[in-house]
Amino acid sequence: MNTRAPLLGRFKHGYVAPAALLVAGLLYAPFVWTAYLSLTRYDGLEPPAWVGLRNFTKLFADPALLTSTRNTLIWVAGTMVLPVGLGLLVAVLSYDLKRGAWYRLPFMLPYALSGAGLAMVWSPILSHGGIANLMLGVDTAFLQDAPANTVAMLLVWTWQQLGVNTLLFVVGLQSIPKEPIEAARLDGASGWRLFRHVIWPLMRPLTAVVVGLALVAGLKTFDIVWVLTQGGPGRNSETLAVTMYKETFVASDYGYGSAVAVMLTVVTGLASYLYLKRQVTAT
Amino acid sequence: MIRRAVLVVLGLVWLGPTYLLLVNAARPAGSYDPGSAWVPSGDFALFENFGRALDSADLTQSLASTALYSVVSPLLGVLVGALAGYTIVVLRLRYGFWWFLLIFGGTIFPSQMLLVPLFVGYSDAGLYDSRLGMILIYTAINVPLAAFVLRNFYSGVAFSIFEAARMDGASTWRVFWRIYLPISASALTAVFILEFTFIWNDLIFGLTLTQTEEVRPVMTAIAGLMTDVYAGTPVPVGLAAGLVVSLPTVVLFLATQRLFARGLSLGSV
Repeated sequence: MNTRAPLLGRFKHGYVAPAALLVAGLLYAPFVWTAYLSLTRYDGLEPPAWVGLRNFTKLFADPALLTSTRNTLIWVAGTMVLPVGLGLLVAVLSYDLKRGAWYRLPFMLPYALSGAGLAMVWSPILSHGGIANLMLGVDTAFLQDAPANTVAMLLVWTWQQLGVNTLLFVVGLQSIPKEPIEAARLDGASGWRLFRHVIWPLMRPLTAVVVGLALVAGLKTFDIVWVLTQGGPGRNSETLAVTMYKETFVASDYGYGSAVAVMLTVVTGLASYLYLKRQVTAT
Repeated sequence: MIRRAVLVVLGLVWLGPTYLLLVNAARPAGSYDPGSAWVPSGDFALFENFGRALDSADLTQSLASTALYSVVSPLLGVLVGALAGYTIVVLRLRYGFWWFLLIFGGTIFPSQMLLVPLFVGYSDAGLYDSRLGMILIYTAINVPLAAFVLRNFYSGVAFSIFEAARMDGASTWRVFWRIYLPISASALTAVFILEFTFIWNDLIFGLTLTQTEEVRPVMTAIAGLMTDVYAGTPVPVGLAAGLVVSLPTVVLFLATQRLFARGLSLGSV
């Protein structure tokens, strides 16, 4: 140890300090502070006043929160099924085709757009009297009524996210062993049966990861809702993340906003834990 | 054959909105009409439209700020994270794993848990609506991933390289700066690109921690423009803005695709 010490240097804590301080000061400390604020009444001007669990009891009786929980659940279920399922479909159909990358290009392009760019593209399409109305010959405001507006945004999200899921699945499909597939082909398996009994079991672990990522992303949905509807009209398309933002920075109810943030964190943590546990026991 | 047919049909559906974006972003601002949105106008007014967006929302300042944030913060974050990884793995920092866990643990917090204290704390510290404040939070968010990837990378580097350099009398800092940083260039680049993209596209921190046009990042500024689409920003102007500000991440990704794939595969062993 004594012979090692000069070789390995003495200034180690100085080297790890910038990382530790940035993370502790700007990520951990705010996290703990939010947890504390969720137990207070606080408007940002007067000092926080301790109220115990009152924010949380209010939370469970708040009809707006019920709406945003429902919307968040639609987002979670939707993101776990649509972009992942269609992404897998496109990947399986195209991964061993000649010039497969060209068939995938249409799905990759939307991924380049940021959330704000996405809203620019879709609001003229979805708006009342917009392009979709004229094409379908209907007179519907797609972003108006709940929960149809959440479903419409979910489809927009699928349009954007499909490409990246396809990419992940293609990489996965190209790296699975060729022998079982060849053997199954020789035995006369093809199409659906080949997929169901040979490819799918091999793809399961990767699918579990992609679905897990979609689960967490779905719970935290904010950007696309904010830019397309800002949670409205009224509050009918809010997600939990949007509710948190509005309660805090629009209504200046910092304590209540913090309680929503805590709830979102607990739900995300719990869902991830249960999902991981199920995946571990399943394999 | 059926496979190709399904792919082509689905692909055409997916191309529709992309086509509308390109055609209408290039349409002269005044001539947009939902009824003829599918028909190209024959004019090419993309740059004029973008110029109008720059003027109306003063996006020039926002673009400059975002460029600053998305370059400086990942650079700092990657450097700080790499130094921590180096110290933990190569210098064998005592309780190194716990230090690593502390730093990497920073990735698990949803940003909603950070917003209120950051807003209040920044206001008290005079960092609210300042470029320094934005650089700080973006850097902190980048550190955990950088530390994770670089720690993995450095644990694959032969220790004899370090020993030899130290025997020759180089300081631990010099070994880091002159040897470990350069050999990890591909991993550093991969992390840089991921973080550049994250910051370039960030909406929530810009929304919460900034106010003025000089400090506000471009996505937040564009989201503001968005709520005005009904209130007067012509559709082609909005589309041109959305298209042009999405370009840097695409160009960066395409330009570094090879390096990116290599950096990630090295970083994941």
